Amino acid sequence: MNAIPISQRRIVGLALLAAALAAWYFSGYAGQDRLGEIAIAAIFAMSLDLMVGYGGMVSLGHALFFGLGAYALAGLTLFLKWPAAAALPAAVLLTGIVALVIGRLIVHLGGVFFIMVTLAFGQMGWAWFARDRIFGGIGGLSGVPQLDLAAFGADLANPGDFALLAVAVATVVYLLLARLIDSPFGAVVSALHRNANRARALGCPVQRYKLAVFTVAAMLAALAGTLQTQRTGFVSPDLLVWTSSGEVLIMVIIGGLGSLLGPIAGAALWTLLHHYLSAVTPYWMAIMGSFFVAIVLFAGEGLYGALARLTRRLRHV
Amino acid sequence: MFRAEGLCKSFGALEVARGISLHLPRGARHAIVGPNGSGKTTLFNLLSGELSPDAGRVFIDGRDVTDLPPDARARAGLTRSFQKNNLFPGLTVRESLAVAMAIGVGLGTVFWRRFARAGDTYRGAAAIAERIRLTPYLETIVDTLPYGTQRQLEIGLALAIEPKILLLDEPTAGMSAEETAEMAKLIADLPDELALLVIEHDMEIVFDFAQRITVLDYGRVLAEGTPAEIRASPEVRRRYLGEAAR
Amino acid sequence: MPDPASLVIQLLNGLQYAMLLFLLSVGLSVVFGLMNFINLAHGTVYMLGAFLGLTLVRATGSFWGALALAPLFAAAIGALFYAVLLRRVQGESAMKQVLVTFGLIFIGIDVVRMIWGDYEEAIAAPALLADSVRIWGQLYPSYRLFVIALGLLVAIVLWLGLERTRLGAVVRAGVDDRVMAASLGINIEAAFFGVFCLGCWLAGLAGVVAAPVLQIYPGMDVAILIPTLIVVVVGGPGSLKGALLGSLLIGMAETFGAVLLPEFASFMIYAVMVLVLLLRPGGLLPARPAA
Repeated sequence: MNAIPISQRRIVGLALLAAALAAWYFSGYAGQDRLGEIAIAAIFAMSLDLMVGYGGMVSLGHALFFGLGAYALAGLTLFLKWPAAAALPAAVLLTGIVALVIGRLIVHLGGVFFIMVTLAFGQMGWAWFARDRIFGGIGGLSGVPQLDLAAFGADLANPGDFALLAVAVATVVYLLLARLIDSPFGAVVSALHRNANRARALGCPVQRYKLAVFTVAAMLAALAGTLQTQRTGFVSPDLLVWTSSGEVLIMVIIGGLGSLLGPIAGAALWTLLHHYLSAVTPYWMAIMGSFFVAIVLFAGEGLYGALARLTRRLRHV
Repeated sequence: MFRAEGLCKSFGALEVARGISLHLPRGARHAIVGPNGSGKTTLFNLLSGELSPDAGRVFIDGRDVTDLPPDARARAGLTRSFQKNNLFPGLTVRESLAVAMAIGVGLGTVFWRRFARAGDTYRGAAAIAERIRLTPYLETIVDTLPYGTQRQLEIGLALAIEPKILLLDEPTAGMSAEETAEMAKLIADLPDELALLVIEHDMEIVFDFAQRITVLDYGRVLAEGTPAEIRASPEVRRRYLGEAAR
Repeated sequence: MPDPASLVIQLLNGLQYAMLLFLLSVGLSVVFGLMNFINLAHGTVYMLGAFLGLTLVRATGSFWGALALAPLFAAAIGALFYAVLLRRVQGESAMKQVLVTFGLIFIGIDVVRMIWGDYEEAIAAPALLADSVRIWGQLYPSYRLFVIALGLLVAIVLWLGLERTRLGAVVRAGVDDRVMAASLGINIEAAFFGVFCLGCWLAGLAGVVAAPVLQIYPGMDVAILIPTLIVVVVGGPGSLKGALLGSLLIGMAETFGAVLLPEFASFMIYAVMVLVLLLRPGGLLPARPAA
């Protein structure tokens, strides 16, 4: 169930897509590379919004699944010599299985407990890949092969082509998630987010639904992770580190928790801000943290909430 | 069709349920009365599955459901309303009833069609709203409803899953005289085949609808019988009934 | 099979690490039990305690002075955060409070980097404890024995405080049933604040105490936060006994894991966490056992 009316969603969604395509058209290589990065972050952020904004499960370890998707693709292509086109969906599925196992253990945990445990699992993933020798340890691995899109006249080594692919995937992910949320499944998830106790008393197997949301969110994060390998050709434990989990949560909250479109804008804003800040100061984390604290304290509804308030005010003019 | 046998529950040294037994046939109209603290809501929690008994069993249609959680019991046909309004904040009346219906028929596994167009839930919601006299409020967000209206929706949600057994926990709690009268009519209009168990303090309502009454006192059954038997029972009169019985 | 002497050494190492974890986790756990709130910046307070201790040692040349003062600073910083930030979101969901503390982790790391730089530091053990003791034919640093003794002392004092004082009774009542305790007119707000500051004091103490045995560096906050959180999950929230048991389990798992299965050293503690989540999701000795 989506609290935002369809007409408003269509306008905002189309505006975002138009902005992305305009950015693609008018940018040089650097800008297009940045666009590709933003599109990946948008997918990552939307997946977390599904878990947090709709499922009500706040995770500080979502980067675990992002990283698993990336490492799975790297492993399948570099060691098992799979073609990237087969490895990509397989990586997403493998991550889904891991998510099912972990989720089964933890989705029934209450909010604060859950957040602690996800932080722990996230760091566990980081520690694993930082120590392991097969995947290059802390230095990571490079040389992950790209999808062969020559048949479509595209070369992913070209940032422009990659950006277009990433934006296309992000658009499809958005449409799928929007439909999921509008579906009966989404309505039940919305209900159990608002009052799990009552949903249970009415016959809803609450934990099963939460597990489903957890797993879908994890698989979409993995999808974003696989795209990351396609963009950089590189995997490293940095993909799973706790700051990554923190940054994607910040993107969702800045964008507007539960709005699905907001996190896309949040991803764009945050990626650009991060690049700008880390270029001008070594203390970007302090600024990021302060920004985050301020948003949580004063603007809990994020960009989308501000937009909604603005349109409500304009409507009354 | 619904049976509880010897339910016992203690919290540390405090015994809140001491060997309570209950039987509801189809179409039962059964009331639970008793002073505050006599264990009425605890009994409901034991029947609906929110609490696990230390001893005793619960049966739905002969099937032992004692170890089943509340959602499994709801799927077996038993549901309840709550003493404090337990609604879905932020949803409209229509959306609340529709999602309750969806849970009831298991529509939640459908993830590819729009909810508004899938199944009959949106239309069915309007039908239920009519039964509980909430039609004018269909598009209102539940948080903004007046208290008495919320109370009606509280029951409406439970009805939406078409239960066989319905437990109502103090449906008229906190209501004005008119709202109480409305609720009494609502209760009278409930389906005949439904087995109804109601916790109530308002003795007028109780004697109005109930065919059998169970009186609880300090966690055990003080008396059980028809309204006439209860009215005549000297123990009950002494400990509980007072004015309303005369 | 390691000989008994090294076994004893490892046991002592595990115990020492466990005591450190206990100092950190007991505050976190009781606050969690009381307020259903986890201060994710708890590791930050620990880190600040360590760095403050470093500065104090360098300035005064006295370890003991640092040990006395740094925890007070840590408690003061905690009190400041509580009054300025956390109380603003008190009425709202616990999740908002937790998210605020998460933001504080980011700020904390850079504040430390700004003031003390990006280097790994160390404090030497105080002269009094700089030597070693003979245990079972092996030499063992007396400082580590001191850490164990300190941890046990704190555990005993806290236990006495909880069981024998009025504040302790208030805390136990609050952990048991916060709403009830509040409705009884007990000033639960003041109790929360007091316990929170005490937790920060303990974290600061842990920071100074840990400095001679572990490394001091920006990022040590998250490094210790994870095992601390696992202790709370494993031990069960809200209880001192749980924190103690959890610390012992995790401390031993980490220490023996590193020795017996060096490949999987870091994962022993996660394995313990997963096991507890599977078998006893509420923790081993929670204050409020699952119904």
